[in-house]
Amino acid sequence: MTAADHDPPVLPPGLRERVLAASLRARDAGRPVPDAPEISAVEAFSRAASAFYAVLCFLGDDHWRTPVLRDLDVQGLVGHLIGVEHDVHRALAGDPDVADANHVESTQAAAVGQAAHPPARTRAEWRRAADRTLDLVRARESADSQAQGARVALYGMRLPASTLLVVRAFELWTHENDIRRAVGWEASVPDPSTLRLMTDLAARLLPQAGAGLPEPVDVRLVLTGPGGGTWDVTVGGSPPARTARTARTAETARTAGTAGTAISIVTDAVGFCRLAANRIAPAELDVNVTGDPGRAAAVLAAATTLALD
Amino acid sequence: MIATLSQVCLDAPVVDRAVTRHCPATVTRASVRGVGGTDAVLAARLAAGDDHALTEVFDALAYSVYGSALRVLGDDSAAQDVVQDVFVELWSHPDRYDPVAGTLRTYLTMLARHRAVDLVRSELRRLARQERTYRLTPAPASAGVGDEVLAAETAGLVRAAVQSLPASQRQVVELAYFEGLTCREVASAVGIPEGTAKSRLRLALAKLETVLDRQLLEPS
Repeated sequence: MTAADHDPPVLPPGLRERVLAASLRARDAGRPVPDAPEISAVEAFSRAASAFYAVLCFLGDDHWRTPVLRDLDVQGLVGHLIGVEHDVHRALAGDPDVADANHVESTQAAAVGQAAHPPARTRAEWRRAADRTLDLVRARESADSQAQGARVALYGMRLPASTLLVVRAFELWTHENDIRRAVGWEASVPDPSTLRLMTDLAARLLPQAGAGLPEPVDVRLVLTGPGGGTWDVTVGGSPPARTARTARTAETARTAGTAGTAISIVTDAVGFCRLAANRIAPAELDVNVTGDPGRAAAVLAAATTLALD
Repeated sequence: MIATLSQVCLDAPVVDRAVTRHCPATVTRASVRGVGGTDAVLAARLAAGDDHALTEVFDALAYSVYGSALRVLGDDSAAQDVVQDVFVELWSHPDRYDPVAGTLRTYLTMLARHRAVDLVRSELRRLARQERTYRLTPAPASAGVGDEVLAAETAGLVRAAVQSLPASQRQVVELAYFEGLTCREVASAVGIPEGTAKSRLRLALAKLETVLDRQLLEPS
């Protein structure tokens, strides 16, 4: 047999299935390459807090008066975050008053009150509050397993403490970049391990965000670059929330999908986090969509509602 | 702060489900930050763990990969093994493909060709060892006549093919494969630079591949 006999070649039967199965045995679907080292939520929050504090340390006195978000200047925004940390402390202690409090209203007094203080005092106060959050969560982690598994009730959310810390890391990164933008500095990107926790959080919340969509849509969300990954999410319809990390084996990959329409959204991990933080609009996101673009646009618009601001 | 409507439960068990439908080929917008063309997008998707991208690449390029391997090997079963190696490599290490350096098709077919040539070389070495053993070891009394004939035929084919090489190439092949010298030792024995020894070996192997007309690579 010569090469000319095989032009064009015909694939032998079964080769496709055999090759795809062997590939998925070599590497699970959904797992990014290179994979970011896994870190705890405490570590993610600690890193985000360090990055935020570093920005505060580099601000000049005039920067603290720069308008940044809503009616807040930089100092007011840091005051808002001090208020959030205090609410987190109360939530960790089981205080019901913060369970369904409004995120902005509850912290407004702390935000406005900082105007009377020098920036260095605001900065130090925020650092102490963030450190206190870390101390409380670490103490909770070293407590009995029942306390570890209990949910924390804050701002209408009911979350395990570890998830709450990822939410908080997300918030700190978002506001760090609010400040950077306000004072004309370049945007920052979380380290891949922290970003991976953030993208996973945003992907898992997507079904909640899109619960109002009239028809269910199977979404394959592919977030590229460091901290990315692949998720299969069902958005909309009833019941609304289904999220799965992409199938880990060839066998589970053959499991049937359930929703009526399938779309694929490919975008970069950091961009998607900015979208979920409502810092960019869907039209500003570089994205590849396969399937119905209208449904994809609706899903991306829903993602922006994840932010509380 | 990122949050959601209310009563969020994020520690619920993950639903083990996946979308099975293959995505339609139409891409409505073709730009992902930091990457340019379709191959770059595919590479980014592969790196993100999107197994649909692997399926798409297989369906688009497996024929070329298979054909590339088959042209070198001339053997269907070995070519299939190469196809599997190539796609497992792509899926396991998608970051080794650089979209700036060339197309995914070129990368995969080159990978297939390299794997196939490696197989040929490996097979030639095995045959050379077999031939050497045949020459040096008296045939056991119990060996069947058929086995002896087959082994003699194989060895004869290899010897004839080597004899057909130009003298300079024949010399390095005999030293490397029949006397077991390393490339450096071959270079020293012949009195040529190591790079020259390597290039002569490469040329010799390419010629042997043709001269033997792939007969030796047919599965026994």
